[in-house]
Amino acid sequence: MEEDKIVGVIPVKDYAHWAYKETNPDEIYKKPEALDDMVVIDISYGNFAGLFCSSILAEMGAEVIRIEPPEGDIARKMTPYGIMIKDTGLAYIVEGRNKYHITLNIESEEGREIFKRLVKKADILIETYKPGYMDSLNIGYRDLSKENPGLIYAAIYTYGQFGHECVKNANKPDYDITDQARGIIMSITGEPELDPEVPKEYKKPLKHGNWMGWYAGGAWAALGILIAMFYKRKTGRGQFLDVSPPEGLLAMSNYVIQFFHETGTKMVRAGNFDYAVFPYTYVKAKDGYVFMSGFTDPNWEGVTNIMNRPDLRERFPTIKDRLTPENQPIIQHEIEKFTQNYTSDELLRMCNEYNADKTKPGTVVTGRLDSPKEVLEREHWKIRKTFVKLNDPYYGELLIQNSSFKSMSRTPGRIKWACRPVGADNNMIYLRYLGFGNKKLEELKEKGVI
Amino acid sequence: MEDIGELPYTEFIKKLMDPEKIFDKPEPLKGIRVLDMTYVVLGPAAVDYLAEFGAEVIFFEDRDGDTMRYVTPFAYFYKNMSPGLQEQNHNKYWVGMDVRHPKAKELFLELVKKSDVVVENLAPGRMAEWGLSYRELKEINPKLIYLSLSGFGHWGPWAGRTSYDAIAQSQGGLSSITGYPERGPIKSGVWIADWIGGLMGAIAVMAALNYREKTGEGQFIDYLQTENVIRWLDWTWLYVFKTGKDRERAGNRDLAICPSDMFTCKDGWIAIAAFKEEEFYGLCKAMDRLDLFEKYKDPLERLKEENSIEILNAIAEWAKTKTVKEIDDLGAKYGFASSPILDVQDAYYSEHYRERKAIFEYEDPLYGEMVEPCYPPRMSETPSRIKWGAKPIGFDNEYVFTKILGLTIEEVRKLEEEGVLFKWNEEKPMTCPPPDWDGKRGKFFL
Repeated sequence: MEEDKIVGVIPVKDYAHWAYKETNPDEIYKKPEALDDMVVIDISYGNFAGLFCSSILAEMGAEVIRIEPPEGDIARKMTPYGIMIKDTGLAYIVEGRNKYHITLNIESEEGREIFKRLVKKADILIETYKPGYMDSLNIGYRDLSKENPGLIYAAIYTYGQFGHECVKNANKPDYDITDQARGIIMSITGEPELDPEVPKEYKKPLKHGNWMGWYAGGAWAALGILIAMFYKRKTGRGQFLDVSPPEGLLAMSNYVIQFFHETGTKMVRAGNFDYAVFPYTYVKAKDGYVFMSGFTDPNWEGVTNIMNRPDLRERFPTIKDRLTPENQPIIQHEIEKFTQNYTSDELLRMCNEYNADKTKPGTVVTGRLDSPKEVLEREHWKIRKTFVKLNDPYYGELLIQNSSFKSMSRTPGRIKWACRPVGADNNMIYLRYLGFGNKKLEELKEKGVI
Repeated sequence: MEDIGELPYTEFIKKLMDPEKIFDKPEPLKGIRVLDMTYVVLGPAAVDYLAEFGAEVIFFEDRDGDTMRYVTPFAYFYKNMSPGLQEQNHNKYWVGMDVRHPKAKELFLELVKKSDVVVENLAPGRMAEWGLSYRELKEINPKLIYLSLSGFGHWGPWAGRTSYDAIAQSQGGLSSITGYPERGPIKSGVWIADWIGGLMGAIAVMAALNYREKTGEGQFIDYLQTENVIRWLDWTWLYVFKTGKDRERAGNRDLAICPSDMFTCKDGWIAIAAFKEEEFYGLCKAMDRLDLFEKYKDPLERLKEENSIEILNAIAEWAKTKTVKEIDDLGAKYGFASSPILDVQDAYYSEHYRERKAIFEYEDPLYGEMVEPCYPPRMSETPSRIKWGAKPIGFDNEYVFTKILGLTIEEVRKLEEEGVLFKWNEEKPMTCPPPDWDGKRGKFFL
């Protein structure tokens, strides 16, 4: 590969080459997997927090067995505009990675017995039912942990498994939108409350475009699972994990709780402004939007130097001046007067050149608001293998995001296969774990158990 | 032990979790020492997640201190402390030391020999310039796990580019899909790419610790926060690949689940979702619109553009006539998902979050009564906890170097006199203890 494609703007060139060698994506499949001794059962239903959680573990080598009811997980139907590839929607195909897919009806007595036998051999169980549902079938934590004291049982649910709201709302299902709604962040995301130019109908809470509530819930569950697994390796003890996705979001809501505690003041929706750091904002460029920053005094000096506007520096000399809700729209407008004349690439070049000149103060950071289509075209992501294209024997040509753990030098994350149809692994998994032959499987199928 | 096996479910779980007894339970990461060479939010958050689960974290600052000492809403400070610094720093030990000083570097290398994890989020290559990248450190500690967090990683065409949270949101595609279709893109209300990048970084460290437990091997982890944003964008990439179209902004509407949206009531907003057949039935029943249910039983039918719009409009018309509480109660009764949009005040006073210790009360030795979020998940055997919050620069110099490297207090003082170690700067109050500090509170050695 060409020198600059590896080194970028890293100051120590041989270091970049070393890092490339250590984390070269073409070498991934020659290396070991971090979690390949773990067995995970994911019996989540209609829930991408559960699915993302087991994806994280599967990318790093855990054997993940997905249990779906015989008609399949309804999550397979959660897909934009109803677009399906054969039996499965786009979102599910993305999070089916490296997992075995079996079916089992846990509402039948025989199904529950089989489930218990499987769980006995597992380290981890992930479920997303309403609180108490598994328990009412006598396959909750108190039953399963008796037979498998090393079991780590992760229950993911909006309101958690205990507490006032849990008791009151236990009949509600868990969804991304309600997870986002209860995590504070949605209340302060959206068009700026204090900007008079924003029409009133847009001054309301806004969710993140992706399933931020579900993905956060899944990631927190995965962190808890790996911490519990680490503890289990030392003590042999399992435990119960109560994962509430909104708690995952409110724990990431910047300083709003601390600030409220200390001052009694609620932060309001700031849109693309930021009342703690500014300029740190999106502005219009000739060819779309770009991010521009220049918060500290030297960095602000940098911005005004690039724009050749020393008058702005004199008008808003201190951080405090730049953080008021009144001044931010003014500064925003002045920066846009400049940036609108240039493309995002021109602005990036300008900032890079300025930053490289060590005689001038400050660092000015910019970046384009890439649309998904543009992200897919960026050379950096192509070279880093951020996406994988594969030809699945059942689902055909696919492009999905790679494991983001692929740059671990010793145990990189990876994708082995994308997804499997409902019940596709029944034969091999039931044979391997419970010794069920074809005849037995046929019999269970007829009874509606698998 | 009391027999709790026969209790009703949520009571059983509450006894099992026993949030009032958190400090009587073990810490899962006890004995794991982390050298925290991070700053701002991305890196400190990654380490903070481990700190609340019991890792021993040593946090290093240069003379100016962490950037977040200066980043705070409306330039407000609480007893000299920036709330922006408090949010991602708990249970850590605070050292003032600049590894560019040769003697400080020597001390740092001694600490590396006795540590398990190093985390840094400096510009890629900076640690290499100082001879402190994994390439060098693995020679003195082959079991070391070394996490580098950055926007674009340590090699590749964009490697070394300066990155902030908002760069990751922008270049990763998140901003482009957040907001209303007829308006511009919207940045998250928080530094979300920092928080979730740090979270996945902590997961990578935990996977590496699990692997090391079996093999004794350490490793280097290059974790890219922008790539992390890309990873979290669910069906976006496969959709673009299959249809050739860009993913559009859709406000609060979920394009893959119908109904799932936010609606305006008489007195506020409510989020509603009901995808499974029985949930959609429950919602239609509550609306007294079983005709809608009959027509759109099949969830895939509901996802077609025209049908979605009909359904969402019907719910919007109905919601207008109700209060938030009325609909929220109906959700519980009929089994569809509903919730008001909680703001900070709702969460702060929530009995539910307090009872679960998701909102955690503690008395900080320097700042008094504090209320902050405590990291999930809630764990029955080894729960997370907050012991103390952020501290002034160099507050724990004595403790760290006497306890870990066996220096005497006199030797630490001498290093401080030489400028190898340092404490807060009286001219910069945001680096200092609170004005009412008695010179003792919060110190291990006086």
